[in-house]
Amino acid sequence: MDEQMLKILEYSIYGASVLLILVGLYAVLTKKSLIKIVIGLSIIDGGIHLLLIAIGYLKGGTAPIFSPGFEEATAKMVDPVPQALVLTAIVIGFGVTAVALSLVIRLYRHHRTLQIDEIKSLKW
Amino acid sequence: MVGSPVLLIAIPLLAAFIIPLAGMIWKELVRIIPGLVLAYMLILSATLLAEVTQNGTIVETIAGWRAPWGINLVYSPLTGFLATLMTLLGFLVWLFSYRFKRNVDFEPAKKYFIFLMMLIAGAVGIVITGDIFNQFVFIEITGISAYALTAFYTGRNSAEAAFKYLMMGALASSFLLLAIAIIYSQLGTLNMADIAVRMHEMDPTYKVIALIFFITGIGIEAEIFPLNGWAPDAYTEAPGPIGAAFAGVAVKAGIYAVIRMVFTLFDIPAAHDFLITIGLITLIIAETTALKQEKLKRMLAYSSIGQMGLVLVAFGIGTAEGVFAALFLMLNHAVIKPLLFFSGSYLLFNSKDKQITEVDGLGKHMPYTAALFTLGSFAIVGLPPFAGFWSKLSVLTAAADEGLLLIIALILIVSVVEIVYYFRVVNRIFFQEYSKEKSVVPHQPRLNAIIAMSILAALILVIGFYPDAVTGILHNASSDLLDKGAYINDVLQTGQSLTH
Amino acid sequence: MNTIVLIFVIFLGGAILTFFAGRWKGILKEILFLASIVVPVVLFFTSVKAGDTFDFTLVGFEFQWAMSPLGYMFALIVTGLGLMAAMYAVAAMRETKNSGLFYFNFILSIMSMLGILFSRDLVSFFIFWEIMTWSSYLMVVYQGKDVQKVGIKYFVFSAVGAYAMLMAIVTIYSLTGSMMIDNLVKAFPGFDSNMQLMIPLLLLVGFGVKSAMMPLHVWAPGAYSHSPMAFTSVFSGALSKMGVYGMVIVMASLVAHIPEGHWFREVIAWLGGITAVGGTLWAIAQDDAKKLLAYSSVAQLGYIIVGVGIGTPLAMLAALFMAVMHGLFKGTLFMAVGAIEKQTGTTNFTEVTGLIRKMPWTFLASLMSIIALAGIPPLGGFIGKWMLYESLIGSDHYLLVIVIFFSSTAAFLYCYKFLFGFFLGQEEEEWSHVKEAPALMVIPMVIMAAGTFILGTFPGLIMKPINAGMEQLGFAATQGKYWEMSMLFNEWGDQVVLKPILYAIIAVFAFFLVFLLIKNNKKTRYVSTKDISTSGEVPKEHENLTFSQNFFQPFLRTVTPLMKRKIDTYYNGFGKGVEALFDFTRRIYTGNGQTYALFVIIFVVILLLLKSTLFGL
Repeated sequence: MDEQMLKILEYSIYGASVLLILVGLYAVLTKKSLIKIVIGLSIIDGGIHLLLIAIGYLKGGTAPIFSPGFEEATAKMVDPVPQALVLTAIVIGFGVTAVALSLVIRLYRHHRTLQIDEIKSLKW
Repeated sequence: MVGSPVLLIAIPLLAAFIIPLAGMIWKELVRIIPGLVLAYMLILSATLLAEVTQNGTIVETIAGWRAPWGINLVYSPLTGFLATLMTLLGFLVWLFSYRFKRNVDFEPAKKYFIFLMMLIAGAVGIVITGDIFNQFVFIEITGISAYALTAFYTGRNSAEAAFKYLMMGALASSFLLLAIAIIYSQLGTLNMADIAVRMHEMDPTYKVIALIFFITGIGIEAEIFPLNGWAPDAYTEAPGPIGAAFAGVAVKAGIYAVIRMVFTLFDIPAAHDFLITIGLITLIIAETTALKQEKLKRMLAYSSIGQMGLVLVAFGIGTAEGVFAALFLMLNHAVIKPLLFFSGSYLLFNSKDKQITEVDGLGKHMPYTAALFTLGSFAIVGLPPFAGFWSKLSVLTAAADEGLLLIIALILIVSVVEIVYYFRVVNRIFFQEYSKEKSVVPHQPRLNAIIAMSILAALILVIGFYPDAVTGILHNASSDLLDKGAYINDVLQTGQSLTH
Repeated sequence: MNTIVLIFVIFLGGAILTFFAGRWKGILKEILFLASIVVPVVLFFTSVKAGDTFDFTLVGFEFQWAMSPLGYMFALIVTGLGLMAAMYAVAAMRETKNSGLFYFNFILSIMSMLGILFSRDLVSFFIFWEIMTWSSYLMVVYQGKDVQKVGIKYFVFSAVGAYAMLMAIVTIYSLTGSMMIDNLVKAFPGFDSNMQLMIPLLLLVGFGVKSAMMPLHVWAPGAYSHSPMAFTSVFSGALSKMGVYGMVIVMASLVAHIPEGHWFREVIAWLGGITAVGGTLWAIAQDDAKKLLAYSSVAQLGYIIVGVGIGTPLAMLAALFMAVMHGLFKGTLFMAVGAIEKQTGTTNFTEVTGLIRKMPWTFLASLMSIIALAGIPPLGGFIGKWMLYESLIGSDHYLLVIVIFFSSTAAFLYCYKFLFGFFLGQEEEEWSHVKEAPALMVIPMVIMAAGTFILGTFPGLIMKPINAGMEQLGFAATQGKYWEMSMLFNEWGDQVVLKPILYAIIAVFAFFLVFLLIKNNKKTRYVSTKDISTSGEVPKEHENLTFSQNFFQPFLRTVTPLMKRKIDTYYNGFGKGVEALFDFTRRIYTGNGQTYALFVIIFVVILLLLKSTLFGL
């Protein structure tokens, strides 16, 4: 029972991250408002981060931190590398979102609309 | 030794942070520091390249963690060549934009130079790193600087172009992360050489999916066909010198990442044919779209995309001559396109819309700038005795050796289209009448701009008349790319020879 | 330094220096220009010997520059015409303030033509070919008229031809491993039959563009008439012969050795015939002298191409001889038109007329060139035409004889139109101020006209180099079989002895001298052109008796239906269609950011679906 639950948990985390990615993609591709698109991009990022962490999971592992009393825990540590990757990726995503939102503000000031299909003066 | 490869990344990033602080002391420092830094980087990269040509690849480990656990920088003939090219272009862009527009005063100039530093640092980082996640980080650094630089002017179009670029760049980074996730989950390592060693252990399905995600992700930066919607807008709306930086620096880094994946990391032979196909499609669609453009910078952007398509075709041919031709094309494009962007931005300096019809008759009022633009057009189309001819000849002989006659025919047909749209502009500049209503008011370039453009023109003439000056470096670089074993050895031997 | 390199260095250096000296006033600039052309030509004739070569390697390709006998023959045309035209150009450009670009392109054209003749390897051939193309292109657009239509059309056609050549060159390189022309000639019979068809076809397209063969000729009328006349004499006289040079090499060295060779020959010969007829008919309809001469050039090149196509020794001899003659007389004619344009400001037949007394030397030179063009003895054109007819009959191309004969006869029409329109007819007051062109413009014309006369009587002078060139191509010696210094033979033993013709001409001139003496007798009375009465009607002062307007009206009425379709319209239509197509395909960049994102996703999905076919895994 325990084994099965853990397996379902593992797969559902993968499934959840894929779902998040798809939801974010849906937002980016179909929503017309700029802010919704930016939110969609963040959701995609969230899904990928979740996926990365889930990859590093070791069955029954502990947090990858050395602390007194847990020195021999190296064998049972969760992989720390994806966690480092995700931390970096979160920061990057945050920076990009900030730039994106500032651009949205500027676009709104100029075009007075947030609909992306009205902002296409540069074409062909 | 003047320094080590890590300084090529560290110093510009440091300078980017120092510039605003220095600006508070004395305003001119904002413009001077980038120049000093870029000059130093140029000297460093050239010196390192000379040393690498003699003594072999330099592999530098960061923070003491040896490969394959830590991040390492690989300075080989190929990456060194590209890094030197990028720093040279960065220096010329700085020289050109030292004082570009009258009304750009302190505050925007500060931002401009910060982001320029970061752009160059990011691009050089993409090229010299040996770790795929590190490459991802540098791609993001380059990307953010590029978004900011595209949005530099405060008009409505700049924001639009930057937003589209950002959207696609964010998608690109998502796909890249996915690809990295797949590779890490299957192979357990992020080091490029290690991945190359272990690639045969990976499940073929996952391998192909990872390759597809990688190509999509990097392809958005490298302007491959369906993924380059952002590129014409960004080149048009960014300031002229930044367009040159995109064309000469950022895109080259993207192409490098693609070929590093295809040639070194993944061992899928059919990927080469895929490169040829996608490169050919990019070339044809870009050049034919350029024919009907009305804005000069947009036309140059499409031409740039087309040239990158041709580079991919040459890489796809895969033989030593093919890779040599591709690198030669990259070198020539990096020297010629910035000249076109530079002179083009001065030709249309006072124009609001930057339409091609406004350059009528400027040849009489701005003879030197117009002559430089003409030289650039002749060179990029591939007319002898200028630089572009040798690279085109190399591509065609490489293709002929593989019997790819259809590709040769397509490349040549597209070249005719190229001739038409470049020569239409040259005709307008020199051989149409200047009219007060239609033509733009001429604006003579400043001395620093003239020097920057002249350096590029001199390079074009030197390479054109004596291409052997650069063929040695290019041959080294091409054999370096094709020699997967040497790369792996160089990188992994600095670590312990552990068996996995 | 190797003499060959010295020649090219002086050319190039002179070109660059003259470009920067463009704004200098006075004679220094002209001396610089003339020196840049005269010195290398002198070096060429005195110091370059038969075995001199210059070899070097660049980018892994071997280059070799050496002169061959065939090249030498064409070099005579190029250098001779170049020197004359340079002298002419100095006077013609005297009034232009900034003529640096003109001189630059002029010198570069001459240099690149000589370079083509020197090239023994295909890469330098191509390099010089392209330099020739873009320097002549800059001349076509030099005067700023119709640049987008005429200039771009010229360059596009030249580029298509050049790129066809380039494709052939790289294929040759991959098949033989070497770029040397000699290696190609040796290895060609050993290629597989697809290559044996494709390579000459591509090369012939490239050379056909430059020699204005139908249907690749559409750039010629515009380009020839829009460039400055000082350059057009070189353009039409020498540059087009570079195409002929290439065609001769392809036809004689490559095509002659393959089984399908005779198809190539037939097609080329007939294309030449059609070009001749088409060019002549269009020339008759023109009212502008430049366009008339341009179409006439196309037609004359048609004759040369017929000769090249037939391929027998006599035909090749005829073609090469006509090439030399065409350079001479067409060069003179374009110079004459340039002189008239300089003195009167226009070249339209319906505007200018009656110049015979005002520009006598120009008239004399034009007269002799027109006689040579028409093929009347004793001038040189007759020799070429005679040999061409003989070779056509001798090789059983009877239909082609009729075509060429028709074209030659129709050529009389535009020849007369040219003479009459400019020089004869009544004199109008508005042109009474016109004086003869400057001496530096007249002297080259007269020298070249005298050349047609000399070659008409002593064709052997030029036949010797032609013979040497043909021997290089593998033909047996023709001296003694087809010609002697002053005689021509055909295959059935008939002779044309030219010396008696010379004596007859001298006798005629003596007669005219006597006539002039009588004319200048005090008792003769001069009357004006209008002192006539036709059926008792005396024309008033304002009436125009020159009928250059609607010249040859009946003839034109007959042929206009034929000429309704121009090949030009098809090309223009094709170009427009292509541009419309591109206008449609560029809409893929819709400007909507979401669409671009959608493209990304579609790309990924397609790749994922097709991954087994694309990547084989």
